[in-house]
Amino acid sequence: MVALNEHVSKKFDAELESLRSRVMQMGGLVETQINTAIDGFMTGDIDHLEQVIADDHQVNGFEVSIDDDCAHIVARRQPTAGDLRMVMAVSKIVTDLERIGDEAAKIARMAREIYQRDRLQIPRLTDVRKISNVGVAMLRDVLDAFVRLDANEAARIVREDATVDDFFRGIMRQLVTYMMEDPRTITTALDIVFIAKSIERIGDHAKNIAESVIYIVKGQDVRHIAIDQLERTVNATEH
Amino acid sequence: MKIDKDLIMQGIATETELETQIVLRNFNFYYGKYHALRNINLDIYKRRVTAFIGPSGCGKSTLLRTLNRMYDLYPEQRAEGELLLDGNNLLDKGVDLNALRAKVGMVFQKPTPFPMSIYDNIAFGVKLHERLSRVEMDERVEWSLRKAALWTEVSDKLHQSGMSLSGGQQQRLCIARGIAVKPEVLLLDEPTSALDPISTMRIEELVSELKDEFTIVIVTHNMQQAARVSDYTAYMYLGELIEVGKTDDIFIKPKDKRTEDYITGRFG
Amino acid sequence: MSTHNNALHSYRRFKNRLALTVSMLAMGFGLIWLVWILATTIELGISGLNLNLFMHMTPPPGSHDGGLANAIFGSIVMVSIAVAVGTPIGIFAGIYLAEFGRHSWLGSTTRFVNDLLLSAPSIIVGLFIYELVVARMGNFSGLAGALSLALIVIPVVIRTTENMLQLVPNAMREAAFALGAPKWAVIGRVTLRASLAGVMTGIMLAIARISGETAPLLFTALSNQFWSADLDKPMASLPVTIFKFAMSPYTDWQQLAWAGVFIITLGVLFLNVMARFVFRAKHKQ
Repeated sequence: MVALNEHVSKKFDAELESLRSRVMQMGGLVETQINTAIDGFMTGDIDHLEQVIADDHQVNGFEVSIDDDCAHIVARRQPTAGDLRMVMAVSKIVTDLERIGDEAAKIARMAREIYQRDRLQIPRLTDVRKISNVGVAMLRDVLDAFVRLDANEAARIVREDATVDDFFRGIMRQLVTYMMEDPRTITTALDIVFIAKSIERIGDHAKNIAESVIYIVKGQDVRHIAIDQLERTVNATEH
Repeated sequence: MKIDKDLIMQGIATETELETQIVLRNFNFYYGKYHALRNINLDIYKRRVTAFIGPSGCGKSTLLRTLNRMYDLYPEQRAEGELLLDGNNLLDKGVDLNALRAKVGMVFQKPTPFPMSIYDNIAFGVKLHERLSRVEMDERVEWSLRKAALWTEVSDKLHQSGMSLSGGQQQRLCIARGIAVKPEVLLLDEPTSALDPISTMRIEELVSELKDEFTIVIVTHNMQQAARVSDYTAYMYLGELIEVGKTDDIFIKPKDKRTEDYITGRFG
Repeated sequence: MSTHNNALHSYRRFKNRLALTVSMLAMGFGLIWLVWILATTIELGISGLNLNLFMHMTPPPGSHDGGLANAIFGSIVMVSIAVAVGTPIGIFAGIYLAEFGRHSWLGSTTRFVNDLLLSAPSIIVGLFIYELVVARMGNFSGLAGALSLALIVIPVVIRTTENMLQLVPNAMREAAFALGAPKWAVIGRVTLRASLAGVMTGIMLAIARISGETAPLLFTALSNQFWSADLDKPMASLPVTIFKFAMSPYTDWQQLAWAGVFIITLGVLFLNVMARFVFRAKHKQ
């Protein structure tokens, strides 16, 4: 159980608050990165794609500085219980966010390659759009669950990852069929597979973040356990 | 975020058996009319360090001092309920207090060496309960001082007054004095609050070493000390035992919100 | 310092100096008398100081080679007995008050009575022993003298012992109890030992006090012109001898009286200084 009432030390409260809001800022930036990258892929706007690739260093910068803040809080405040779990979790969340940022940059790079190679024959973009919407929604929802410390929402997001995985497999099958029909599209199709794979990975990272949120709220490490057990842990009433 | 510890531990070593040494059941304590400790139920395990934490006035020192019947010195103080040491009720009329206190030793907050030589300080307690030859006493004194990590500093001046030592050394002398009688349980009442940080660290180190042989109960107002030093932590508030459990659990995921509020500093 | 405080500042400085001056004057006034007394004592006493003092008995008036030997001896004997009798009683009573009777009614009563005894005029003590011992025995005696002095020693020792024991921090007692020591061991081996310096000081001060007591001895030991080591008989003592000789019209007796005063003063001074030394040395630890 994480108490949100105030510490006797106001500075400590301010430090934790600053940590949380910077995670949200990073999350917001990363979300924008994904959306811009996908838009760029859909519309072929090279400038957008270049922007995403360039802005990835900002995401990295966030990771480094937020981790630094975590170390400072541990050194100075010796946080315990809920505060400790928050700081430990933030360190992990920030890693996942940075990887999501990397995936977005990867998507942008691959899209740029596709468009620099051939501007024709981009097949089945709508499915890619659909899977990216789900992925982005997962990210947005998990950040929301983080700020509201909502374990139930986080559990839902963990389950949602299965949907993204299914989606990805669906796209794979379609693209394979497409490639078999017309071998000239293989290069492009493969690139699209990789883009879809990136989005699937984004979903995985969002799931990790959700597991971190559950750790903060419930104090239980729910990585690597079955989804049913996880939901039972979340629903277990206590306190 | 840890993987279940048991999985790791299984391959390496079995944790030594957990035995209960002291049990409190429905234990109440009164200063005259004032109900100081309310309905305490607590197990203290053998050869483990148990810490009592809580804000000032919560009763942790009071509780500690019942474990060796120290309150007997003051007529208005009385205890009710069950207080079992190895199965024997310490609240019975016929309990031999001096023998009890040889079994359950105590070290206080302020170091109080007796006005005698270092040697005599340590021999004092031993002489009360055992008849040792000169050689045996010398050995016992050396053993206690070594265990208290003080031997190397005082071995050449055992005849000097105990009061000539520094604060940290005096406290270690008091610890040596306490363990010289070979108790089973050692009660430490805020043993480092009057000491500087380095002496504090030394004594914390000492506590970790001593727990192989003694059951230790420590009262501390410094939470980080409790986290560093103890295996089990009991949080008390206004005379009640709010929560008790493994120190790791208490400090990472306490069950009671009041415990969480206290250890995270959300209330003074 | 900002300048606008100057008026306040100098007013304060003036007040300070005024108070300091008044205190110094008062101290000076007190010291003057003390110095004068000491100077007079030394001046008048030192001329009579010679080995004869310790060798010869109190002489009849007019003789020139008398001494104070019997008086000195008598004082020593009676003071020693008084201390030997009074100290153990005083210490044990002091222990009772400090360790057992802090809050009991018996303790409070004892303390009250002790305070009365402490401030009782010593002549009353003398008269009491007169009634109890001298009248019964039918004669004045050195023993009676010693007993009356003992009655003065007891309250002093009780008071200092109790105070010194109370100064021992309770934590030390608890530490001893926590080792499983029974109460008598805690008191005997720890508490008393810790307050030993203070208790000794109390005894020394008691000795200093009774060395100069005259009134009780007048009714109990009286005095003796000749050498006497018999406690059943009147015994000479310095204070009474001084009284007798000083009041007399004979100059050689007066001379001896001053010499006696000098000896007592020196003795008391010495004991007080010793007491302070012992106390400070033990407390420096």
